[in-house]
Amino acid sequence: MYLKIIIVGAGEVGFHIASHLALENKDVVVLDNNPEAIRRVSDHLDVQVVTGSGSSPVVLEEAGIQDAEIILAVTNSDETNLVACLVANIISPSTKKLARVRNADFDAYHGHFREVAPHIDTIINPDIEVVKTIHRMMSVPGAVDIGEFADGRLKFVGVNLENDSQLAGARLLDLPQIIGKARLLIAAVVREDELIIPRGKDRLKSGDLVYFISEEDKLLDTLSLFNKFEQPLKRALVIGGGRIGYRLARLLEEHSIYCKIIERNPDRCTYLAERLNKTIVLSGDGSDQGLLSEENIQDMDVVITLTSDEETNILASLLAKRMGARKTITRISKFSYFPLTNAIGIEQVVSPRLSAINSILQHVRKGKVLSAISIKGEQAEVIEAVALETSDIVEKPLREISFPKGAMVAGIIRKDTIVVPTGESIIQPDDRVIIFARKEAIPKIEKILSVKLEYF
Amino acid sequence: MRWRYILHTIAIMCLFFGLTMMLPLVVGLYYRDQSVAPLLKSMAITVFSGLALHFLFRSGKAEVISQREGMAIVAIGWTAVGLFGALPFYFDSGFERFVDAVFESVSGFTTTGASILTNIEGVSKGLLFWRSFIQWLGGMGIIVLSVAILPFLGVGGMQLYKAEVPSPVPDKLKPRIRDTAMILWKVYALISLAQTALLLLGGMSLFDAVCHTFTTMPTGGFSTKNASIAHFDSVYFDCVFIFFMLMAGINFSLHYQFLRGKPLVFWQDSECRFFLGAVLVLTVVVSINLYGSVYTGIGSALRYGAFQVVSIITTTGFATADYELWPAMTQLILLLCMFIGASAGSTGGGMKCLRIMLCFKYCYRELFNLIHPHAVSPIKIGGKSVPDDVMRSVVGFLALYMGLFAISSVALAGLGVDFTTSFAAIAASIGNIGPGFGMVGPVDNYARIPYMGKWLLIWCMLLGRLEIFTVIILVVPEFWRK
Repeated sequence: MYLKIIIVGAGEVGFHIASHLALENKDVVVLDNNPEAIRRVSDHLDVQVVTGSGSSPVVLEEAGIQDAEIILAVTNSDETNLVACLVANIISPSTKKLARVRNADFDAYHGHFREVAPHIDTIINPDIEVVKTIHRMMSVPGAVDIGEFADGRLKFVGVNLENDSQLAGARLLDLPQIIGKARLLIAAVVREDELIIPRGKDRLKSGDLVYFISEEDKLLDTLSLFNKFEQPLKRALVIGGGRIGYRLARLLEEHSIYCKIIERNPDRCTYLAERLNKTIVLSGDGSDQGLLSEENIQDMDVVITLTSDEETNILASLLAKRMGARKTITRISKFSYFPLTNAIGIEQVVSPRLSAINSILQHVRKGKVLSAISIKGEQAEVIEAVALETSDIVEKPLREISFPKGAMVAGIIRKDTIVVPTGESIIQPDDRVIIFARKEAIPKIEKILSVKLEYF
Repeated sequence: MRWRYILHTIAIMCLFFGLTMMLPLVVGLYYRDQSVAPLLKSMAITVFSGLALHFLFRSGKAEVISQREGMAIVAIGWTAVGLFGALPFYFDSGFERFVDAVFESVSGFTTTGASILTNIEGVSKGLLFWRSFIQWLGGMGIIVLSVAILPFLGVGGMQLYKAEVPSPVPDKLKPRIRDTAMILWKVYALISLAQTALLLLGGMSLFDAVCHTFTTMPTGGFSTKNASIAHFDSVYFDCVFIFFMLMAGINFSLHYQFLRGKPLVFWQDSECRFFLGAVLVLTVVVSINLYGSVYTGIGSALRYGAFQVVSIITTTGFATADYELWPAMTQLILLLCMFIGASAGSTGGGMKCLRIMLCFKYCYRELFNLIHPHAVSPIKIGGKSVPDDVMRSVVGFLALYMGLFAISSVALAGLGVDFTTSFAAIAASIGNIGPGFGMVGPVDNYARIPYMGKWLLIWCMLLGRLEIFTVIILVVPEFWRK
């Protein structure tokens, strides 16, 4: 019997989580009341589908909520998600519940939802996750993608390899000679939209998106190897004052970063201006050249485009870059645009959906797996797991472990020390290991860790 | 269209299919008859072809297959299986021409049960077993079996499943298509086991019991006896066959739910009610018609009438009597049964009760809307409204079915076959029944159909088994356009 998971909502988030879990040999049932969305799921994924509202007890019973281990409520509507969890709690109290709730008004009640009424085990707010991601990106110069492990002590960072970098063209084997003492572990390379887990003989090429693992305090040294140097961020311009823009502005205020926010809707501007103290709220169009130069865009350290329309975001970012902004972060939701970002010169991308998927996967995999982040859209995951005494990976050199193709150990955390592994490293029981794995290697990783990844 | 991938999948299927020839081989070896050599030769050729194709196209790998590719795999796969399955017949002395062997093989796989054999009892046991066994394989579907057993088909399984399973809306019993396919085969095997046991209990030999089970459960209709079921002439056997033909004509997902402890499920399903109701009404009418005119006792009228109605409406095609000697009204009812067919999701053929029901409801809605022009009246089945696209495909299916039936029967008559025979042979082939009327009646066979006519019927059988669309799409030019 496989683990059974019910996903309410066949939107972008529901679809991609379903595709992840279906590939990992889980029994997945997807519910949605839109037949078109359901058709898309049943045509593309090997999952069961039920047409109907996820908040309806009848539909949930039809989907088999009684024997489901987990229910993920990820529709666009907070209310539907909450009601779905409420109903699930009545019919099948033992089912773990996870809901996406975005409205900031609910923020204060998350604890309540967990402990009292519908007993939602985890509440995901992708807006909060996105704001966190943006903040992380702002703090690491040159990073295209960034994630954290071991409570932030270990970071995994993706940077673009430029032409002028000393690493371009080097074989991984030769890296120690080029960079001297500093240890650098390249975990993955994205080249021409293909994610590669490189071996010693592979060469880095300029234009690659290189993922590496680094300890927090050595991060800046490592980045300098890639010719990325820290320059303090002082001025930020946010285009789009929606939920995320507002949250971000609040965060920037807390960190004393000078912030301007451009919002098209005058009423929304009033709302923002009432609630934000130091931030300058500008009413106007974010892609208006006049307005941008009037507000000294050339002096901006970072421009963050967060409107709900991704085409506008892309164009506004390109415009800002051209007018002299040092760095841009663009919100893009449509996954089909991700392969384009490099080609059109968009550096850093955030996506509420991807954030939601990441945090849901991370929460779904609690237990022996501590965290998981999916990178490059969908192709690979970074998993942090505890090495069990019973598993095949402990107490022998890494060289001798037959790892599945497309997976590698990228870090070992032993109490307070962090080991960047080599072929000779030995994993000891109760170490936390960080594993990079392509999607198709994940079931095999489960096996190698000798425990089924425990869910919840 | 990624041909490498399509051909690679078919190669694996051929390989797998070649290995299933082991079973009749064991039977042949046990009886030490002349089927051993033909079976060995065929197995070697099939396995070798599979291996050759596999190595030629081994680079063909795909994560996701499109609906179009799924249809191509199923249609070409079935053709290939039909051809390879014909080899044992061809190497046997009883079949002169290749077309005869292919006819017998395709008739088996498509569960039609039309034969060109005049003296069935003269054929070796190994081949007779093979003949029954391929019906059993084809009944639940060779692709569904592959999806259940071969792990690599998992990802594209849904597309293949949709292209093979005869139903306007394929049920997915389990989240994973592999599990669904596995369950269907398990239920199928379980019911088959029950039938074999009951036949053995009635005193049939093990060989005959197994062979007849293998042709009842897929609603196939091949028999190991010249006189079909009439050979046994036993009320007990007739009842057993009637019962299991009905079982085979019911949607297999209902059987699954029944086995999971929902005893009322047959009654709750509206299609099943329609199907059983139709069988009941037609049996009563036929029996009354037969009583007095053919049979003097009400008991025997009921026995033979019921058997024939069930045999034809489930598209099995067993015979206990020569219904061509029966009154015209009964004959016409049987002819209509050929078109109605069994339930969707069963192993039976024909147009399927579900489509007929939907068609009736559609017509009624048109009338209803003439009276109440503003009424909102969705078409409902089992309390749920049927989406428009399903309705469209049902109407399209019925139109294609009738259109292809009309064209093919004219073509067959053009080849010099008489009026009744052309009409009935096409109806019996496209509906996967087997025996028809005239030259191909229950006591005759298809041997005297002209050469080209046999190819035409082979094509019709494939059309019927794969529910028209999957096969006919291959001759649509748009399908091949890049």
